[in-house]
Amino acid sequence: MTTGLTSAGADAPVLQIRRLSKSFPGVRALQDVSLDIRGGEVHVLLGQNGAGKSTLIKTLYGAYRPDGGHVLVDGRPARIESPADARALGMAVMFQEFSLVPFLDVAHNIFLGREPPGRLPGTIDRRRLHAEARRVLEGLGVDVDTHALVDRLGIAQRQLVEIAKALSQNARVLVMDEPTASLSEPEIERLFAIIRRLKADGVAVVYVSHRLHEIFAIGDRITVLRDGVGVADVRPADTTPGELVRMMVGREVNTVYRERFCERPGGVVLSIRGLATASGLRGIDLRISAGEIVGLAGLVGAGRTELARAIFGADRILAGELRLEGQPFHPSPPAAVAHGIGLIPEDRKGQGLALIQSVQDNLLLPGLPRLFPRRWYRPARAASLAGQLVDRLAIATPSPSRPVELLSGGNQQKVVVGKWLNAGSRLLIVDEPTRGIDVGAKAEMYRLLASLVDQGAAVLMISSELPEIVAVCDRVYVMRDKSIVGELRRAELTEERILGLAMHHHHQAGVEAPLPKGGQAGRAE
Amino acid sequence: MQSEQIGAPGEPLRQARVWSAAADAAARLRGSRIPGVGYLLALELVGFSIVDPSFSSIGNLVNIGVQSSTLILLALPMTLIVMSEGLDLSMGAVLGLAGVSLATRLAHGAPLASAAAAAVGVGGVFGVANGLLVVGAGMPPFIATLGTLGIAQGLAVATTGGRSVVGIGEALPALYASAWLGVPFSVLVAGLAYAAFHLVLYHTRFGAYVFALGGNREALRLAGVRADAYHVAVYAVGGLMAGAASLLLTGRMNAGHPIAAIGMEFDAIAAVVVGGTSFERGNGWLPGTLLGVLAIGVLKNGLNVLAVSSSLQSAGIGLLVILAMLIDRWRERP
Repeated sequence: MTTGLTSAGADAPVLQIRRLSKSFPGVRALQDVSLDIRGGEVHVLLGQNGAGKSTLIKTLYGAYRPDGGHVLVDGRPARIESPADARALGMAVMFQEFSLVPFLDVAHNIFLGREPPGRLPGTIDRRRLHAEARRVLEGLGVDVDTHALVDRLGIAQRQLVEIAKALSQNARVLVMDEPTASLSEPEIERLFAIIRRLKADGVAVVYVSHRLHEIFAIGDRITVLRDGVGVADVRPADTTPGELVRMMVGREVNTVYRERFCERPGGVVLSIRGLATASGLRGIDLRISAGEIVGLAGLVGAGRTELARAIFGADRILAGELRLEGQPFHPSPPAAVAHGIGLIPEDRKGQGLALIQSVQDNLLLPGLPRLFPRRWYRPARAASLAGQLVDRLAIATPSPSRPVELLSGGNQQKVVVGKWLNAGSRLLIVDEPTRGIDVGAKAEMYRLLASLVDQGAAVLMISSELPEIVAVCDRVYVMRDKSIVGELRRAELTEERILGLAMHHHHQAGVEAPLPKGGQAGRAE
Repeated sequence: MQSEQIGAPGEPLRQARVWSAAADAAARLRGSRIPGVGYLLALELVGFSIVDPSFSSIGNLVNIGVQSSTLILLALPMTLIVMSEGLDLSMGAVLGLAGVSLATRLAHGAPLASAAAAAVGVGGVFGVANGLLVVGAGMPPFIATLGTLGIAQGLAVATTGGRSVVGIGEALPALYASAWLGVPFSVLVAGLAYAAFHLVLYHTRFGAYVFALGGNREALRLAGVRADAYHVAVYAVGGLMAGAASLLLTGRMNAGHPIAAIGMEFDAIAAVVVGGTSFERGNGWLPGTLLGVLAIGVLKNGLNVLAVSSSLQSAGIGLLVILAMLIDRWRERP
């Protein structure tokens, strides 16, 4: 499966990364990162979202050009300027975001770019293509039809195809970026068995994850990244989960984002009783008062986004009563906006921002009717308002006329929040407000939300990041199976209690529904 | 678990049965792969046959094939271009320029083979230019091919003074008029072209990469494939086929006409889109394009048989496109 080189000495690293650096506008994604990757080892890259793991992999694979540093393969300097170079050196990568083609079948996807040639030039030997795809999938213990279009597959099956694609390359260095994110327990076990087999064959496996128990189950060496910097290189036997978490989060773990929590909330802004919707929500009771940040926790699919959509009037309501400041409220998007409900969606690029428009245009858009009641747009007033907002939100942009797409993720997110400030929102619903932004930008986001509620607004925050919920929220509702299963006050708020409610441990009923793991690492996803 | 209560009780049983049969039929329709245009094509064939029996004569059906052959040659590469999330507006104009070049050479006594090669070459040059503008220069396909449309059309009109190039000799018209086993030359060419494109799209690397260009270009790049080269090649094929199509059109008209094919690219795009190929995510289906071309060809022919004016014919095609898309939208609804 591999060349004899790796078995020559387990100590000689296959891949040596030396002082690799990479910046994007506004973000230093990697800074002088060095590590050695050896054959026959599983080298874990650990870090929070935005710590630089994916950037490191893409840079290694030639998808990004590094700003500085170099890579040695078998001790010799290697030029990796394109994915083709990386492949030629024996690297294979299983990417986190799916690198599959929707309207090609499974077999074509697994061997994309490496199709077995048929008799006529340029043709593909489809019989061999499918036979080899089946062989790879059987090795994974997966039952997926190789003729099925990827577009028809569920997310877990796609992930398995992605793994098959990486495995089929018989690489010397196999990089897996969060391979278990969508897998169930038996599938994860099978993947680990395969990884152990690869290790025995001398393959170097780079394993990216933030699920701590997996790391202790499979890892031989751990490199912890934080804010683009390698902060530790340890062996699992020499460390503990707690220590790893401390290294991942750094000093942030005890940072207080809010000067004071809400002790005496104001009037009830939104109350919901017995809500049921066409999207599957059942028996939702909830209330949010002025001055509060209320968290909405739960696993993916628990119904959090559906609840936000119902409040905004995006899904049909079957039963129940909503009241806004005591008045009956029939949700629809225009009514929600008119009554001062702002929604900050999870997919900010798709739903929250007009990317090619300027910072100013995006900031002022929802507030236009309020800012210019006589319907005439006054450019000078608009520019001064936008300037004030940019200052107040500390948006890092040379000018308010800069297109939003040129801003960093954290600054884009500030624009998304900032635009609702102008609209005078009484209730702001934020869905995963800090996904994909770096630690510094997260802290500013929390302060921004805190200042909003201090001014009398109410915030409903959906988040899969438990530390964030615990750090920021006054009160938390936990959802499971499209219902609210618990309410935790500030004093009762711990990650363990939230997870306990969200996952609902049966008393040892054997293998139950495939539950995502990752509690210790702090994400309930 | 589900606690939904629907409707008023005590509805007449018969009515319920009719409704459920209709619902079953609708569900079957929604589940099948045949795009809406397939049913519209069947409807056209049945409708025109009833209204005018001469429509369904063998002679007229062969005629539909002959009339559709040029459009097929354009719609096939247009399918690949649309799958790559692109568009080629220049095809009709390039066809015109290639036809003029072909006819001029033939009129000067050049052998058919060399004149044909020159025509296909003209198409190829424009195709590669389109590809380089879209892929290399990063221009939106709509703009890039609008530019080359203007260039090709301008050159065709300027070199001919806007007049048809006649006196092209006997070789091409004779070839066009020939038939193999009763199959007219143009239908044969169209059939072979379809077979070739089917083979390329579904059995070669090139075809697989066309799906990937629109579906997940980054995946193709990460697989170490030179995605840009394949992307340019898709446009080049479009130009080459426009050049090849000029052979059929020139043979049929016995002359090279600079603007005869203007606007044909829109018929090609219509055929591609109603055939189930989408502008997004590399979702393409070549048999659907064939259905789309035939639906347009049958409609034009049938309206001709009924002596409907040509301006109303284009209204008919517009209606066909909208109806086909409405059916598909309805079927895609969850």
